[in-house]
Amino acid sequence: MDIFLQQLVNGLTLGAVYALIALGYTMVYGIIQLINFAHGEIFAAGGYIGVITLAYLNHIGVLEQYPMLGLVLAFAMAMVYCAFLAVAIERVAYRPLRGASRLALLLSALGMSIFVSNGMMLAQGVYDKAYPIYMFPQESIEVGGAIISHMQIYIFIVAILLMVGLNFFINHTRLGKAMRATAQDKTVSALLGINANRTITITFVVGAMLAAAAGVMVGMYYGSVRFDMGFVPGIKAFAAAVLGGIGNLYGAMIGGMIIGMVEVFAAGYLASEYKDVFAFVILIAVLYFRPTGIMGEQVDDTRV
Amino acid sequence: MRKVIICALVTLALTVGTAGAATLKIGSVSPLAGPYAADGTDIKQGVETAIAMWEAKGGIPGYDKIEYFPQDSGCDGKQAVSAANKLVNLGVIGVVGAYCSSATIPSSDVLMENKVVMLTPASTNETVTERGYKYMFRVCGRDDDQAKVVVKFLTEDLKKTKIAIIDDKTSYTAGLANNIIKFGEGKIDVVAHEHINQGDKDFSGVLTKIKALKPDVLYMSLYNPEGNLMAIQAKRLKIDAVLLSEDAVYHPNYIKIARDASEGTFFTFGQPADETIPEVAAFLKEYTAKYGEPGSYSAYAFDAANALLAAVAKVGASDPDKLADAIRATDAQGASKKLTFNEKGDSGSTYKVIVVKDGKFVPYWDPDTGMKY
Amino acid sequence: MRKDLLRWLVFVVWALVLLVPMMAPKLGFDTFELDFARPMKLVGMLALAGLCVVAYRAVRGGKEHKVRAPRNFGIAEKLSTPWAWAAAGVLTLSLPFWADNYTLDIAINVLIYITLGLGLNVVVGLAGLLDLGYIAFYAVGAYTYALLNTIYGVPFWLALPAGCVISAGAGAFIGYPTLKMRGDYLAIVTLGFGEIVRIVLNNWDNVTQGPNGVLGIKAPGIYIPEITDGSLDFVYFYMNKLPSLYYVILLIAIVTIIGVQRIDTSRIGRAWVSIREDETAAELTGIQTLRYKMLAYMMGAVFAGLAGAFYAAKVRYVNPSSFVFLESALVLCIVVLGGMGSIPGIILGAAAIIVLPEVFRELELYRLLAFGGAMTAMVIFRPEGLIPARRRQLELHIEETFADEDDDA
Repeated sequence: MDIFLQQLVNGLTLGAVYALIALGYTMVYGIIQLINFAHGEIFAAGGYIGVITLAYLNHIGVLEQYPMLGLVLAFAMAMVYCAFLAVAIERVAYRPLRGASRLALLLSALGMSIFVSNGMMLAQGVYDKAYPIYMFPQESIEVGGAIISHMQIYIFIVAILLMVGLNFFINHTRLGKAMRATAQDKTVSALLGINANRTITITFVVGAMLAAAAGVMVGMYYGSVRFDMGFVPGIKAFAAAVLGGIGNLYGAMIGGMIIGMVEVFAAGYLASEYKDVFAFVILIAVLYFRPTGIMGEQVDDTRV
Repeated sequence: MRKVIICALVTLALTVGTAGAATLKIGSVSPLAGPYAADGTDIKQGVETAIAMWEAKGGIPGYDKIEYFPQDSGCDGKQAVSAANKLVNLGVIGVVGAYCSSATIPSSDVLMENKVVMLTPASTNETVTERGYKYMFRVCGRDDDQAKVVVKFLTEDLKKTKIAIIDDKTSYTAGLANNIIKFGEGKIDVVAHEHINQGDKDFSGVLTKIKALKPDVLYMSLYNPEGNLMAIQAKRLKIDAVLLSEDAVYHPNYIKIARDASEGTFFTFGQPADETIPEVAAFLKEYTAKYGEPGSYSAYAFDAANALLAAVAKVGASDPDKLADAIRATDAQGASKKLTFNEKGDSGSTYKVIVVKDGKFVPYWDPDTGMKY
Repeated sequence: MRKDLLRWLVFVVWALVLLVPMMAPKLGFDTFELDFARPMKLVGMLALAGLCVVAYRAVRGGKEHKVRAPRNFGIAEKLSTPWAWAAAGVLTLSLPFWADNYTLDIAINVLIYITLGLGLNVVVGLAGLLDLGYIAFYAVGAYTYALLNTIYGVPFWLALPAGCVISAGAGAFIGYPTLKMRGDYLAIVTLGFGEIVRIVLNNWDNVTQGPNGVLGIKAPGIYIPEITDGSLDFVYFYMNKLPSLYYVILLIAIVTIIGVQRIDTSRIGRAWVSIREDETAAELTGIQTLRYKMLAYMMGAVFAGLAGAFYAAKVRYVNPSSFVFLESALVLCIVVLGGMGSIPGIILGAAAIIVLPEVFRELELYRLLAFGGAMTAMVIFRPEGLIPARRRQLELHIEETFADEDDDA
């Protein structure tokens, strides 16, 4: 039982990270039907800026006194940086292709993904960069035999807060409403005076900020970041977004949790070498019986 | 008679002329981008260090300069074959590389057909030197030797035999894990043999499963980035097994990233550089000044390049057979070990056990003598 | 002009924000250094380049320049004069006689990817099914030959049809559950299947040797006549040298080109195109869409199987790490950059995609960076591909009327 509980905690933590990244995928997809492959790289960039901020604060001696302030600053810097990065990527690689074939857009995203991850490698080197996690409390609590570290609790709380905030933003602010309108119908929303390009940019910014937060969280939890760390979680988060029903925010959250759980439980109870196979088989099975994902609506079946 | 003299003079002039203008070309094949870029870059830097030291000594007799062509191979057979073909075309006389056995094996076929000497600083898979190639050498140890040392260490020194193994299903790590199980049959009790994927960050599922089995030793047959992360997570989950790992995880980064979680980890690794040996000290001085602390393959790559260059200095590079014979006859103290080659091109293994103590790698146990340091 | 300068300013600010925080700090483990020279040099260069563009526009009269692909309808038709064909034929046939090994090796890789690209073109270009796991079929072909040859000693030419059949079977197996899905759902599911195939190959140790891969695969062989002691004998000759391998893959590539060309203009090809254009309408006109989609998958898989079997015979070693997602992306890149549905386009695309990284090899570390950048740039400046298929290009330009409302916010 304690093992089951432990695995549940592990799965929730991993799932929360996937869910945060999946939200960015699903939002961008919802508004311009693009599988934004560069999203995983934005997540990695967030991790890098986080570690750079913390290292700088450590260097000037602030981190030791106010570790929590340092962490907040790291989150803020990473989110701002990634917002800039996402806008640049959107402007350079996606906007010129508006109206071009979906595949061209996909390839442009793939090119950007390779470009950004190698750019980070050239800037910061090939070695892992260590987060100064030893400066933060490493205690953990035990609940029914399962060890839950404080960091896991923080990750979960921050993820929930960000998702609640996102929900509020989408449903109750003017910008959020504009986003939903543009996702529904670009032409009509343009007629109603919504600037489509600006709305798309804002979507990218919001998605990137969530990914940046996930990047810093991953760095703080696992202890290091690396230039190529965006690719695998990117693919998994993409799978999570589709599993939940791409374009649907709640779907992305649920999908992320499911993929995280499946992975952990497959590794823990079934064959660890096939854990990714289980994740994909669940995805295929769900899509076979519910071709639009768990929460999805009918997907636009325009050609690729 | 006059004709003969003129002919002789012309020939002499030509040979002197070409010898005077000759450039010695050597290459390397290692991953310079992608997930193994860190180790691949170490290899490149090791070769560069060797060349720099030869040049500082006045170069190689008969050659003006040494030209070096580092090639990126990823860990991929196809890329490595392309790189090997490219090096053959450039006219290199020897190649240091590759890193992954899966790149070394196919690319060596190309090099052997063209009689280019290849010295691998990192591919420990047995097959590499088991194919009877005359121009193939290995400066590092072999998987099967390392596995034997691991079993010996577990049974003779550590005296803990309840072991859980995690590998990442690459040719190197899985081969090592399987060899340990094979050689340890009847001697050690493998309670779990689990796998992870490269590029994963979260191992909590596997580790929780292993924790429940309560092993005495957790063997991490992994590469560096995953090894660092696993040590942290094992500590976080309060797994109180002894951590034991191998040379692909051995890297200064391990201590610096895993910090207190790294304390007490044992490694099997080719003789840790004993800094009192002058050759080792010279290498460390030169390398550290330029690139910082050496990685686990820097010294092997340095020795590989050195063995090649020393052989060229002895017999020249015109005849690949002579060059291969000269390399086979190598008998010199290197930066990683005392270097000699056997018939197959293996240089023998010098696996020792080292331990992380107070944030430093410290020699711990010598499997040949069974003595602690 | 003023608007341009303003834009330039924004560009420079953006470059500063993106490059300085990422490039200036040098992180050691316990050390932290700031080196502003490195990013500032790059920002300066970018700013200068931007200024050149501004100046160029000012000189040109500040006319708004929209980047649009030139409408070169029928460039392929214009190029296909008998002379051009003859020259290309002579060049390809004579290559092994004058090229060195390195060039030949690259040429062989190009031909492998032409075969792969044309195969994927059937799935993506003709039938309009996005496939991100195409490399799985290539892996199936490669492992089929590798295992048949090393275990049962089956020669290459016999294993080739076997590889095709098994690849087609894999295509049907993967196709069946996925083809009910549409559009981007198909993308992630095929990506998942690609990963599943690779993971299974990596873990099925008893059969595939797992990550160690299969060693000791024989090159293709032929019987060549030889006259010994006055009697005619046939000697089995292993074509393990690059020149003979080149001719083998050239043959496979030509068969593929002819095959895809014939299908494209056949009844089946037209059915695929109609499915691509509007699946519902196609179904209404009596096309059994599921069956045709399955057929597209299987045809695509057959060509990948051919290429895979040859790959195994050429490298004489296969292991799962050659069949990663990035390879699928590479083939997709060839199809889209070359021009979907256009055979000459894909040939050119394959050449570009394989040769480009080799050219960048000199740049070592910058290789992948340049590759990624070039990929995006090529898509932006030529969204229809290098040599667009005529049919497809007409459609894209109709859509453009809708795309032009793009304005700079």
